[in-house]
Amino acid sequence: MSRFASSFSVEFNELNQEIVLSGRMRPRISEEMASVTDVVRRSLLESQNTVYVNLKRLTHLNMTAFRCLEDTLINACKAGPQRNIVIVTSSVIAWSAPLFKTLASGLPNLVVEIYDSAFYPGQTFVEDESFIPILRTQTKMTWRHEREILRRHGLRDGMAVADICCGIGDFATLVKRHFNPTRLLALDHSKKSLEYARQVAEDFGLKSIEYTYGDASQMLMADSQFDFVTCRHSLQIFDRPDVLLRELYRICKPGGRVYITNEKNSHCLGEPHSETIRWTYEQVAKLFSHFDMDVEMGPKSRRLLTDAGFDAIQVETFMVTNLDGDPRDFADVIEAWENVYAGQMAVRRGDPPEFIRRFRQGFKDHVLAALHPKGYAGWPIWAASGRKPY
Amino acid sequence: MTVQHLSPKPMEFQDMMALSLDVSFFTSEFRLCDVIAEYLADIVAQSHEDPARYANFSSQLINEIVEVAFSSARAMSKVDFKLVKNGLCIRFSVGFLYEKDSSMPWATLCEPAAASPRHPVHDLIALAQAIEVDIHAEADADDRVLLVADFHAREAVH
Repeated sequence: MSRFASSFSVEFNELNQEIVLSGRMRPRISEEMASVTDVVRRSLLESQNTVYVNLKRLTHLNMTAFRCLEDTLINACKAGPQRNIVIVTSSVIAWSAPLFKTLASGLPNLVVEIYDSAFYPGQTFVEDESFIPILRTQTKMTWRHEREILRRHGLRDGMAVADICCGIGDFATLVKRHFNPTRLLALDHSKKSLEYARQVAEDFGLKSIEYTYGDASQMLMADSQFDFVTCRHSLQIFDRPDVLLRELYRICKPGGRVYITNEKNSHCLGEPHSETIRWTYEQVAKLFSHFDMDVEMGPKSRRLLTDAGFDAIQVETFMVTNLDGDPRDFADVIEAWENVYAGQMAVRRGDPPEFIRRFRQGFKDHVLAALHPKGYAGWPIWAASGRKPY
Repeated sequence: MTVQHLSPKPMEFQDMMALSLDVSFFTSEFRLCDVIAEYLADIVAQSHEDPARYANFSSQLINEIVEVAFSSARAMSKVDFKLVKNGLCIRFSVGFLYEKDSSMPWATLCEPAAASPRHPVHDLIALAQAIEVDIHAEADADDRVLLVADFHAREAVH
């Protein structure tokens, strides 16, 4: 998508009675909007009861385009007073809801809703605040490996870097300290995580990290801005990793690299009790799959990057283990996984108590393996990167 | 025409950026409105807590002002874009000569005139009111108009 062009799309999902408008709509004259208004008008007329107009990914809109949409919506409201039109905006786009609310005031069957969640299916699990200390521990454990891996994948001092789906921003602060980027942007869709990240950066006196609240699948940044783009442990929890990769590709400079990490949860391992541990982590993969997340994505990284148009692809694996630093750290992480996976997620899926008991046992055995003086516990991660061609 | 929202107390403004273009060049391609708006919005947002979002927010209004200049500036003249700041806000202004034979009362901009859907600033005012950004206009006897928007950095994107 070009930064400086009117580039937009409109789609109608009949099943959900949802019209999805996305991209940049800055036409010079209203005639340029004809194809859009035609789809919107026909879709509205075909829909019964409630129809959704999804503007969550409409990033730019001039008043020429707005007036065209306004006319179409007003006419549809008048033509079908029994039909409710719900305009869905995103809290990421700050102008969108206030502008469309000017329409709603005069039309009783039109409402504007602001979504600041549901960016991806598993968001409620992953953004649980109680997870924050564990995320910090996880990053501490992976950084021991990634600090050198990042160099092998091309990260150098003085680059413009973006960390997409930055979570609580701990990885970004480490990049800032160790690689001193000329620009460092960190994006996430959790306001609470970003609040935490900003506080940490302030406490540590780390200035000039640009924290931004955003939707990774439709970012507000211009094309070709960054030398190195990271997206860690996040593609695997989006239901459409291809869409996310397209955006990572877009903001990366030609010749720059996109670096991703993903897991293969069923390959988590431990001794003793290897069998119960293996069974539990196989179930973790199935559980995530139930919620449209793929925590087996690691080995698929090469294919995903290739399909997204990258070249010079590098893939390597590393194993976080109980021998990396304090074994208690690893045990804490496993216990946090148990709480979320065997707690909220399994319950939400409707798993019976007997299954949950067995499911929990594997985590407990993994903790035992991590803390056992002769034990070994591992968590495998795939680090991959690709170059955006010139 | 004045749309007031949290007007800052008078404080001295410091220059941030100035850009002067021939109208013939500026109006040669409509996409320049978008290019200029995005460029200026990035500058407006550079000190904001969330620059990417604030740039997107401010570009919405800046683009509309730039489009007004695109459609109203007199040929064979200059259009001037300027950013200044003080402790309270960043002020964006566009100055241009409007068409002398225009029936629109630029020189006496007032709400009834601007309320007409035919007036070039009608949509601009509607947008500014919706997203709560201060805008006003100043016109002089030489048929030159200055459209001004004040962005309060702590507002709007929380």
